[in-house]
Amino acid sequence: MNEEQKQEYYKKYKKEKQKGVKFYPDIVYKDIIVSFGLFLLLIGLATFVGVDSAPKADPSDTTYIPRPEWYFLFLFQMLKYFPGQLEWVGTAIIPAIAVLALILLPFFDRNPKRFWRKRKLAISIMTVIVIGIVALTVVAVVTTPAQEESGTLAGTISEKIVAGEELYGLYCVECHGADGEGGEIIGVEGLEGVEVKSISSQDEMYTRSDETFFNIIGFGQGSLGMPPFSKAYAGELGPGEIEAIVAFMRYTWDDRIEIPAEAAQASAIPELAPDEVPSYEVHIVPIVKRYCISCHRPGKKNGEYFITTYDEVMQSGDYAPNVIPGDLTSNLIRMIHREEIEAGGPMPPTKALKPELIDIFERWVLGGAPNTVDDAAAASTGSAEPPSEETLPTGTPTPSP
Amino acid sequence: MAAKILDWLDERLGIKTVYDTVLDRDVPKVNWWFTLGSASLFLFVMQGITGIFLTVYYVPTPDHAADSILYIMNGVDFGWLIRGIHHWGASLMVIFVFIHMLRTFYCAAYKFPRELTWVTGVILLLATLGMGFTGYLLPMNQRSYWATTVGTEIAATVPFIGTFIMRVLRGGTDISAVTLARFFSAHIWILPAVLVLTISIHMYLIVRLGISSIPKEDD
Repeated sequence: MNEEQKQEYYKKYKKEKQKGVKFYPDIVYKDIIVSFGLFLLLIGLATFVGVDSAPKADPSDTTYIPRPEWYFLFLFQMLKYFPGQLEWVGTAIIPAIAVLALILLPFFDRNPKRFWRKRKLAISIMTVIVIGIVALTVVAVVTTPAQEESGTLAGTISEKIVAGEELYGLYCVECHGADGEGGEIIGVEGLEGVEVKSISSQDEMYTRSDETFFNIIGFGQGSLGMPPFSKAYAGELGPGEIEAIVAFMRYTWDDRIEIPAEAAQASAIPELAPDEVPSYEVHIVPIVKRYCISCHRPGKKNGEYFITTYDEVMQSGDYAPNVIPGDLTSNLIRMIHREEIEAGGPMPPTKALKPELIDIFERWVLGGAPNTVDDAAAASTGSAEPPSEETLPTGTPTPSP
Repeated sequence: MAAKILDWLDERLGIKTVYDTVLDRDVPKVNWWFTLGSASLFLFVMQGITGIFLTVYYVPTPDHAADSILYIMNGVDFGWLIRGIHHWGASLMVIFVFIHMLRTFYCAAYKFPRELTWVTGVILLLATLGMGFTGYLLPMNQRSYWATTVGTEIAATVPFIGTFIMRVLRGGTDISAVTLARFFSAHIWILPAVLVLTISIHMYLIVRLGISSIPKEDD
C-alpha cells in the first residue's frame, strides 16, 4: 500500500467511526451476551453431556485405535493420503507451508481492496481450504471404527458374572481353589506349599470393596506371592476382564447379594437324566473349566496333560491315555477318587470334587466318553450299556433319581 | 465521596484516560460476528480458572493421573462440573478461535494497518492447538495415551530432525513419566505464558488501531 492509499483508508475509517457507536456500552453489551450464552452452554455440556471416561492408559494394549482430539482429525486423515516414502510431505511440508502462509498472509496478499467481490482469488482459496478441513474431519469421523473397549466384556451383569467365572477358573483356581476356599497350594511352580487364606469367606466379602479386589488382582500382592494380573503390570488381563472376575466373586460369594437368576442358570452344571450319557461338550467342559483348566493348560506343571479340547483330554499327557472309554480304572477316574498312582496324586490336589461331579465323569467314561451331544444320545440308546448300580465302583454315590 | 475517591485514584492511576481510550472510544458499527474475539478471550479465562482448580487435585504422574481424574469426577464436590467445563471449553475455544480467524480473513481485517494483529492472532491459534494437544495426554487414559503416541510419532517422520523432535516431545524414546511431566509443564506454564503475553499484544493493537469496519462496495 502506498502513502496515498493509506491516507485514503484512514479517512474512510474515520468516517465509519463517526457513523458508528461507542465501544462501551454498545460493543461490550454484545460481548457480554455472547459470553454469557457460552457460559450457559458450557455448564449445559458439562452437566448433560459430561466427559467420556476411558480406561486407564495401558501401554501393552496395542489393539487400541488411536484417536486424536477431533480438531486434529483432519491432519490425521490427510496423512493417510501420503503413504510410505511420501509421508514427510504430509507431516512436515504441508503443515509448515500452511502455518507460514497463514502467518505471512498480510505480507504477500498485497491486494489493497477489502470488499469480497474484489478479492475473489483469496476468498476462493481460503474457502476451498476450509471445506477441505471440514471434509477431512467428517471422513475421519466416519471411517474410524468405533473402539471396542479392550478387555471390556459383556454388557449385562449376568454376562459379566459368567465371563468372570470362566476367567476365575482359568487364572485363579490353581491357588485359590474353585470356591475361593484357599488352603495349601499344591503343584504350582514357585508357590508350592504356600498357605492361602479363603477369599470367599464372609469376613473377606464384608471387609473388601470391589475396588480393593480389582486392585489386588491387577497389582498382585507381591509380599504374599500373588503375581500381578493386569496387562499394565505384565499380566494377561485387561481392566474389563478383572472387573468381570470381581463381579463373579461378589455375586457368587457375598451372601448379601443375590446372584441374578440368568447368571446362576448359565453357570450351573447341566442336569443329567438318570440314564442319560453325559457328553464332553455339555457336561465335562463346564466342570473342567471350573476345576481343572487352571493347571491343565500349557505352561503349568501338569504332567503335560492339557485338557482345553476333547482331543487333548483323550490323548495328551505323559501317562496318556488318561481317559479310556468304558474303563473306570482310567487314570483320570482313579485320581479324582483321590488315589495316589504312578501318573500323580489326587485331583484336584486340594479339595475333592463333589460326588455328583465325579459321578458325571464316571458315567461319561462308561458311556464311551462321547464328544458331542449327538454321540452321547447315540450312546444312551445304542450299544453302550447305561451305567447301573452294579457296574459302579463301591463307594460311589448313586445318581439321584 | 465517590467522586473524591475517583479523583484520588485518577491522579495516581490515570483511570479516566484508560476509560477514554479503552471504553469510551468510537468504533464502527459492526455485527455479531465481531464478538468472536471477546468470546475466545472469555473461553480462555474460563479455561484458566477451571484449569487452576483442576491442578488442586490433579497429579501429573502416570501412576496417579487417571486416578486423580477419577477422584475429581467422583470424589470432589462439583469436580465433574469443573472438569466438564474445562473439557468442553477446550473444544469450544478451538472452534471460536478458528471462526474468529475466518471472520478476520473474510472481512480483510488483516490488511493495513492490522498486519501485526493478524500475526499475533495466528500465534494464538497455534498456541490454542498446542494447549489442546498437551492437555489431551494429561488424563492418562487409553484414548489420550494412544493419541499422544501417534501424535508424537508423526513428528518423527519429519526429514533429518524428526527423531530428535520426537525425543524432545517425549523426553525419551517412549511415552513415560517424563512425557507427562513436560506436557503438564507446557500445558500449565509455557503455553499459558505465551497465550497471556500474545493476548496482551493482540488487545493493545486492537485498542490502538480500532476494530476494523465491515468492508463496503467501494473498499
